[in-house]
Amino acid sequence: MPQIEIDDLSKTFSVAEREGGFRASVLSVFRRRFRKVSAVDRVSFNVEAGEIVGFLGPNGAGKTTTLKMLAGLLHPTAGSVQVMGHVPWHREPDYLRKISMLMGQRSQMHWDLPALDSFLVHGAVYDIDKAAYKQTLDELVELLDLGNVLKKQVRTLSLGERMKCEICISLLHRPAVLFLDEPTIGVDITMQARIRRFITDYNRKHGATIILTSHYMADVTALCQRIIIIDHGHILFDGSLEALSERLAPFKVIKIDLDRELDGYDLASMGEVLSINHRKVELRVPKHQAAAVTSRLLTDLPVLDLTIEDPPIEDVIATVFKQPRADPVAKADTASPTEGSVSK
Amino acid sequence: MRRIARAFLAYLRAHVGVMLHYRGEILLWSMWGIINPAVLYAMWSSAAAGSGGGTIAGLDVRGIAAYYFGIMIVGHLTASWDVHQMGYNIRSGNLSPLLLRPLLPLWKSLSENVAYKVTTLVFVVPMWGLFAWLVHPRFEATAWQLALGLVALALAAALNFILSYTVSLIAFWATKLDAMGEIYFGLGMFLGGRLAPLDALPPPLLAAAKVLPFRWIFAFPTELLMGKTPGMTEALAGIAIQLIWFGSVVVVFRFFWNAAVKRYTAVSG
Repeated sequence: MPQIEIDDLSKTFSVAEREGGFRASVLSVFRRRFRKVSAVDRVSFNVEAGEIVGFLGPNGAGKTTTLKMLAGLLHPTAGSVQVMGHVPWHREPDYLRKISMLMGQRSQMHWDLPALDSFLVHGAVYDIDKAAYKQTLDELVELLDLGNVLKKQVRTLSLGERMKCEICISLLHRPAVLFLDEPTIGVDITMQARIRRFITDYNRKHGATIILTSHYMADVTALCQRIIIIDHGHILFDGSLEALSERLAPFKVIKIDLDRELDGYDLASMGEVLSINHRKVELRVPKHQAAAVTSRLLTDLPVLDLTIEDPPIEDVIATVFKQPRADPVAKADTASPTEGSVSK
Repeated sequence: MRRIARAFLAYLRAHVGVMLHYRGEILLWSMWGIINPAVLYAMWSSAAAGSGGGTIAGLDVRGIAAYYFGIMIVGHLTASWDVHQMGYNIRSGNLSPLLLRPLLPLWKSLSENVAYKVTTLVFVVPMWGLFAWLVHPRFEATAWQLALGLVALALAAALNFILSYTVSLIAFWATKLDAMGEIYFGLGMFLGGRLAPLDALPPPLLAAAKVLPFRWIFAFPTELLMGKTPGMTEALAGIAIQLIWFGSVVVVFRFFWNAAVKRYTAVSG
């Protein structure tokens, strides 16, 4: 049985709007206009226990709204959700003790106190047994390398240090389900990699189910066995990254290093030339022609090195957003969705 | 209940830590709590001295000193500011992490409230002593009046907290609630007997004060502690009315809270 079951979930916001300028401002006092904005529109999917699911989409796609409904922060306009048998927006304390939502841009810490004080409050609020609290905290402090941070006032921490503390406090009560909303936002590459490793370890060690949103594709490729792409409140794709590439990237990128400059060779006849930089060339060719083109390049040119790669995942996902709304990619992927997932 | 008590105490310790960090700020707030009633004492005592009978609302200068000394203490110990704070918490998104916790955010606010009152005692007690030394208030309270006065004071603090918190929930609909906070404060000043003893109010305002909760928050415990409430029956009736107000507001809070959370749109995060 799936740990998270979402069926026809919708959320509509009523947003006040007016034209710019003083006149419109005065008129809005007498006649206020509201527009219905459908942030999430009949979204359905399931998540099995222990899965890490990447929830992707451009700004305003409905990712965070969906996560907030799963965490019980928002009531939906329609639809149903069950997470571990709980309806999130009933906000039962037993449910809230089993989950955690980390919002990269929102702090759970007391800014004026050392991080350790926030952890102590968290331990009490979640009624964590003192021995378990100590054990978990010691473990998290070691894994996240927080030793020299604990006694510093939170407002004096760097963004990376604060994010590590936010992760620590989110996990102190050992949640079974984690909602991570941009967990690596704003931190440097080294810290991003460290946070990714930590999330993977937590998932493996505790079997936690994780749904994460991120604009960093490195997060997604490193962490997620499955991705769900959402735009304008609709799910456009639900499946593995490989399945997405297979469906939407019917081309390969061939990179070659040459021994000498090209001398009038007609590269354009081989495929789309992405770049020529001294003796380095990048070509995009249809997937089914990749072998033939490679063979010709090796025959015709003084090739020192050659690699054939899939296109960057960012490009593939950008292709999803360019698909016509009436022809969502998810339909093309229903032949091999991740087990337990349903796309609408 | 045990879980709530544990969380409350943890919050309380943390908030005392925050208060101790901002010692200058809480010293200034403490001074504001003294200056306001001290100015009103100066105003009303001058008026009493200049009046024909030497009294205002049945109080002579030393009686007015006792009244404003009491208002100073009651005003400080019943202070509540959630009605000013909630709109900001919602607008800024600061409420979201609190709503994710398995504990009503009200308990965090209550711990902040208690932490402020406990921490500021260091500053306000000497100031209260200085004020009493300067104005020579006349106290006529008996032992039972003092005892019931302390009960009334505790109930007044609880009532003002839950009432202010419940009114603050309007912010879930209106979002910006600064003006409401000022209206709430103003009602407490006028109809609670802080600006002037209630007997000095014109009849329409006195009639309004009788049906609203503010007199039971400020004037009633103050009058009981200074020995102005005449009989035990009247004192017990006042405490019963405080309890009825408190219970009623708790019921309204429970109903209103569920509707408010359902309405929450997690603005800006």
